[in-house]
Amino acid sequence: MGPDRADTYRAMEFLNFLLILWAGWLVWRRPERERFAFRLLIVSCLVMALLFLVGTHGSLIPGVNL
Amino acid sequence: MTLSEEKLRGILAWVVIVLVGGPVAGAVLLGVLAGDSPCILCWAQRTSMVLIGLVGLFVIRYGPRPRYVGMVVLLGAWGTFMALRHSALHLARDIGQGFSGAFFGAHTYVWSWVIHFTVLAVIGALLLLLREVAPPEGARQPGRAGRFAMGLFVVVAAANALQAFASTGPPPFIGQGDPVRLSWNPRHWVWSFEELDPPSISLRGGWTVPKPDPGSADPDPAHGPLANLPALAVTAWERVAVPLDGPLSGFARDAATGRALAVTERFGVYLLDSTLSRVLHRVVIDPGFSVDLGPLTGAAFLGGDTLAVVGINKSWALLRPDPKADERAEWRHFLTTDGRMTELGLGRFATVRARQQYVRSLAFDSAAQELITVSVPSAKQRRLVVSRFARGDMVLASEFVPRFGTGLTLKPDRKLADYLVTGAAAADGRLYAVSAAYSTLLVVDLATGVLQAAYSVPGLQRPVGLAVRGTELLVAQADGRIAVLERPTP
Repeated sequence: MGPDRADTYRAMEFLNFLLILWAGWLVWRRPERERFAFRLLIVSCLVMALLFLVGTHGSLIPGVNL
Repeated sequence: MTLSEEKLRGILAWVVIVLVGGPVAGAVLLGVLAGDSPCILCWAQRTSMVLIGLVGLFVIRYGPRPRYVGMVVLLGAWGTFMALRHSALHLARDIGQGFSGAFFGAHTYVWSWVIHFTVLAVIGALLLLLREVAPPEGARQPGRAGRFAMGLFVVVAAANALQAFASTGPPPFIGQGDPVRLSWNPRHWVWSFEELDPPSISLRGGWTVPKPDPGSADPDPAHGPLANLPALAVTAWERVAVPLDGPLSGFARDAATGRALAVTERFGVYLLDSTLSRVLHRVVIDPGFSVDLGPLTGAAFLGGDTLAVVGINKSWALLRPDPKADERAEWRHFLTTDGRMTELGLGRFATVRARQQYVRSLAFDSAAQELITVSVPSAKQRRLVVSRFARGDMVLASEFVPRFGTGLTLKPDRKLADYLVTGAAAADGRLYAVSAAYSTLLVVDLATGVLQAAYSVPGLQRPVGLAVRGTELLVAQADGRIAVLERPTP
């Protein structure tokens, strides 16, 4: 488990779901904290997009002819 | 028909319930019940669906504020892109093949596309129907369905977090490109950084393959990858004595009639007499309709009157001189024509080992009835591949990377792929190939795939074609001059 370690720390899926869980909880149980919950949403979107781009190895377009 | 805001929030609560309770919770169940584990790209798409559900909760709680609508449209568009990008890795595989298991006949990455596209359609429909009144400020009571949606969301998001912990690990580990099945036994957990390599960012990734430029190749045989090559002297010089519409880019000779075929990168095709001083037929192919034909780089006689030309992108055209050619019918094929040529067909050579490589040569093995190309090694595919295509259907018949015969020695850290083959011809079971890089002639046994011999040919300047004339080889250069060599038979 965990055979490799990178020098650069990055957020990942587990952490992202914790952010989402937090935001959902705030909307449900603490509706007066809308601004903070929305910021969590934006951060989570950015993390999700970043993780996808990491997964595609930076190649935005798939291996096909354009 | 219009929707009040309260009605819209009620409908949206059910949309969130369906989205989160259906595909998102279903994905977790697939993991728990069937061991299914998402790859790093699947995780991003599942996360996107959860985020869309979260934006739905915002609307249920605070009303349809513009920033929520903007966010869900962005998420729907990005999710559609992600799903298409992910699906493109697998859609072109053979029937029944894909990544991981299929669900209702389609793989999860395809369902992701359907879901994100549906989200965009539903949002558009709801906005069309929403009554235009100024919404009240502050938080709303979510209603029974809204409360259920929020509770379900928290439960499903927590379940996803749990699965993500087991499947991908805590920070800073990230998802895997090739995950293993889900297990709750920590001994089976794989936490890795494998997807962080390589980190380079580009628009097309590995599909950025520059077109080869023989003009920039080093012509000095002494610098080639093979050591101690015997020299093959040019015994005479001839030339193509007719004006062409551009530099010569391919050349062939018909053994039966002595006629020659010359092509240019400007799609000019010239059928010449045996003295190379008279044009028998000339056309300029329209490269845009309907097969994208790259600049012509190879030519061959296929027996009878059939002519073959190939573009740098492995697209081909078959032509035939025809005194009764229908000029009106041929207008669509040729930009210029003498009115006595018919196009028989267009197509594309599909290779396996030579994918992501261009070609600059074409030969025809009359004994095997096969067309032959030699690939130009690229940075992505650093190998020289000989591909053979059946004349009957123009489909790949066989492919090989030549093996070294006895007596040939590679210099340290050099490869056969250092050569840039720009002309090829087949005769007597051998493939003769001339390389613009290091001015070298390669001789390959077509039966065994063995590189039998190689010869340096000093004095060549940008060779672009090769033809057999009895016991001689004709090396055509871009400037129209033809070097005559004795044909070696090792």
